[in-house]
Amino acid sequence: MKVNVLKKTENELKIEVEGAGHTICNLLQKKLLEDENVELAGYDIPHPLTPVPVIYVRTKGKLKPEEALLKALGKAREINEEFGKALQKALKK
Amino acid sequence: MLERDEKNLRLLIRGADAPFINALRRNVIAEVPCMAIDDVVIIENSSVFHDEIIAHRLGLIPLKTDLDGYNLPEECSCKSEFGCNLCRVILTLDREAKEGAITVYSGDLTSENPNIVPVSDKIPIVKLAKGQKLRLEAYARLGKGKNHAKWQPVSLCSYKYLPRININGESCDACEKCVEICPRKVLAKREGKIEVRNLLACTLCRDCVDVCPKQPPAIEVDWEKNAFIFSVESTGVLPPERIVMEAVKILNKDLEELAKQIEV
Repeated sequence: MKVNVLKKTENELKIEVEGAGHTICNLLQKKLLEDENVELAGYDIPHPLTPVPVIYVRTKGKLKPEEALLKALGKAREINEEFGKALQKALKK
Repeated sequence: MLERDEKNLRLLIRGADAPFINALRRNVIAEVPCMAIDDVVIIENSSVFHDEIIAHRLGLIPLKTDLDGYNLPEECSCKSEFGCNLCRVILTLDREAKEGAITVYSGDLTSENPNIVPVSDKIPIVKLAKGQKLRLEAYARLGKGKNHAKWQPVSLCSYKYLPRININGESCDACEKCVEICPRKVLAKREGKIEVRNLLACTLCRDCVDVCPKQPPAIEVDWEKNAFIFSVESTGVLPPERIVMEAVKILNKDLEELAKQIEV
């Protein structure tokens, strides 16, 4: 996975992520929108044959967009780990 | 939280949202690796099928997979086009129709590793008439579903909302119209009352609501928020619980990698 920054200001961030897809982007978008400091979050896959989605985040100014992204990623991982543990527990029964 | 058997796994997941469940589903289908025949060297083929057709049919045979013992070819240390013992398995096939016609089955493939064998021995590959011969060497590799459907470890992986059916006991006169129309036989009449017999089978089609003669309908169908029924049907290459665990691991790895990249 490789990240290229397309646009960066105080409260805006537009990045290109090589090697990601709907799997991660959709999850990330949802988690970003749950954050009340985020004004706008979305992603687009400009061409369906190239796995290079563009993620766009705009915050309300209190939080830097990259911080919001990392927070969202952290949240997603938390849920994932929680699910993994719950699954293992359920399987042992 | 679940029901399961050898090939199927059904989970009832509470407290997760649709994007997460969808990410899991997408990873199960497209990212969890499994074994399939990828290259075939035909030594002799006098059957009626062309070499390519046989190679294609061989590719679609599900093979029992050992994920811990083998590497993905692109991640293997050998960097070789043909692979090494760590990233490919050789299977050979040698059949000749000596007396009368025979059918070549997947069970006729002999593997160099007794753990990597076809899931079923009874998958027909080609029929040979008397005197025809088929000899070949096939190379099985790990791969991912996003590159070819033969590397998909599941035949089905889906999720649906957990249904919730409310029957208003006061206005319902147990006319049984809803019982009759339900295609999945979710409802039943017992002791003069309509009751939910098999909630998980409900497909949320709402036919029962439409057919109810009461105004407003005495039956209500909706779904629970953040609760899903997640079902996995393995092709037999890996146990279904292993497939889901792998998907969780892959998702975690991807998220971690992206976080690292953003930090830089």
